[in-house]
Amino acid sequence: MNINATFFAELLAFCIFVFITYRYIWPSMENLLEDRRKEISDGLEAASQSQRKLEEANKESATILDGAKSEASSLINQANSRADQIVDEAKEQAVEEAKKIKLSAEADIEQSANKAKDGLRDEVAALVIAGAQKILDKEINAKANKDIIDSLIKKI
Amino acid sequence: MAKENAQNLIETSDYIGHHLVNLTFGWCEKTSSWGFANHQQELFKGLDSACKVSEMGFWSFHLDTIFMSILLGAVVFGFFGLVNSSAKRGVPSKLQNFAEFVHEFIASAVNSGYHGTSKIVGPLAFASCLWIISWNLMDLLPVEMASFFGHFGGGFNYFKILPTADLNAPLALAIVVMVLVTYYSVKTHGAGGFLKELFVVPLGPLEFISYVSKHVALALRLYGNLFAGEMIFILIAIMFGQFAMSFSQTLWFLPGLILNLSWALFHILIVALQAYIFMMLTIAYLNLASTKH
Repeated sequence: MNINATFFAELLAFCIFVFITYRYIWPSMENLLEDRRKEISDGLEAASQSQRKLEEANKESATILDGAKSEASSLINQANSRADQIVDEAKEQAVEEAKKIKLSAEADIEQSANKAKDGLRDEVAALVIAGAQKILDKEINAKANKDIIDSLIKKI
Repeated sequence: MAKENAQNLIETSDYIGHHLVNLTFGWCEKTSSWGFANHQQELFKGLDSACKVSEMGFWSFHLDTIFMSILLGAVVFGFFGLVNSSAKRGVPSKLQNFAEFVHEFIASAVNSGYHGTSKIVGPLAFASCLWIISWNLMDLLPVEMASFFGHFGGGFNYFKILPTADLNAPLALAIVVMVLVTYYSVKTHGAGGFLKELFVVPLGPLEFISYVSKHVALALRLYGNLFAGEMIFILIAIMFGQFAMSFSQTLWFLPGLILNLSWALFHILIVALQAYIFMMLTIAYLNLASTKH
């Protein structure tokens, strides 16, 4: 355990190893760890930023969705009212058309009734004349009697 | 019986002595030549000195301490250097993870304990902590292993694999710390301020004694803990061996194993703790030296 020149050898060796650590080991490791620390903090920062962005995007998508929903419902309302309007218009048109058809049908009926009346009248006149001819059994001036018969017919 | 006991005692002290002597290469006054201490090795016959270890003076080297500490340093710092040079910035590999964990651990200790501006404190703490841990871990290898391999592999009869149990090594570390503390004290307070602090304020020269003793204690604390740990391993081995010789060998295998294992498990704590304490004290001393107070 005596102290001897070994001490100097150890001293030299220690100084060399400290120098090696100082020159080659310590700073490179410090730099490496510092870089890693920076990388990690950057990564965390980026992650929190993207989280924030995600939240913003979520919010934005929600507002867009809300807008789209309200727009859609307003469109539906509009479409519904338009449809109602169309139906109403169609109804009115149909009613009018129906009225027109009814009117023309009534006019037709009246016309044909008049026609039938005229025809009937003529036939009745002819029948009356024929009947009167048979009754009288005489040749009567058809022309002279026609006035009497016409007045008869008018009374019918 | 008494004779047998005496014989045992001699064997025991020989055994302990054998495990506490470093492989020494030094200057022998008697023959005025450099060489290995007498009968320590059989590999280089021409270098076998006439002097014993105790007869060699200051100019001798503990080759085992130097070899082991530089080998361990090369392994540890080589490992960290290689991992760092192949380090990637993206997802780290497992080895890189480990290196980063170690670095972070020491860097956080430095950052919380040192508030000066010096760039050397981090590397100093890193180098001392890891080097000391690698030394101390050698204590967990079986006590007989080093001399076993030394004897049969290299022809060395003496080989201590634990650099921490040689006071020279911890002392070298502590002296480097002391030099740096002195440098930063002078830098921060000025030479006059530093001397005044040592000798005048507040208790006179007592401060100087505390200044020297805290650095010596830094070395001795480390040395003492590991030396004592090694000593207990040796004592367990002796007890184990002696019982084994006097009774049945297999009977004493189990208690020896249990004692050795339990001390080794406890010693793992000391191994790491002493390295940690050395590092923390280094940081604390340098912090005191480089901040105004």
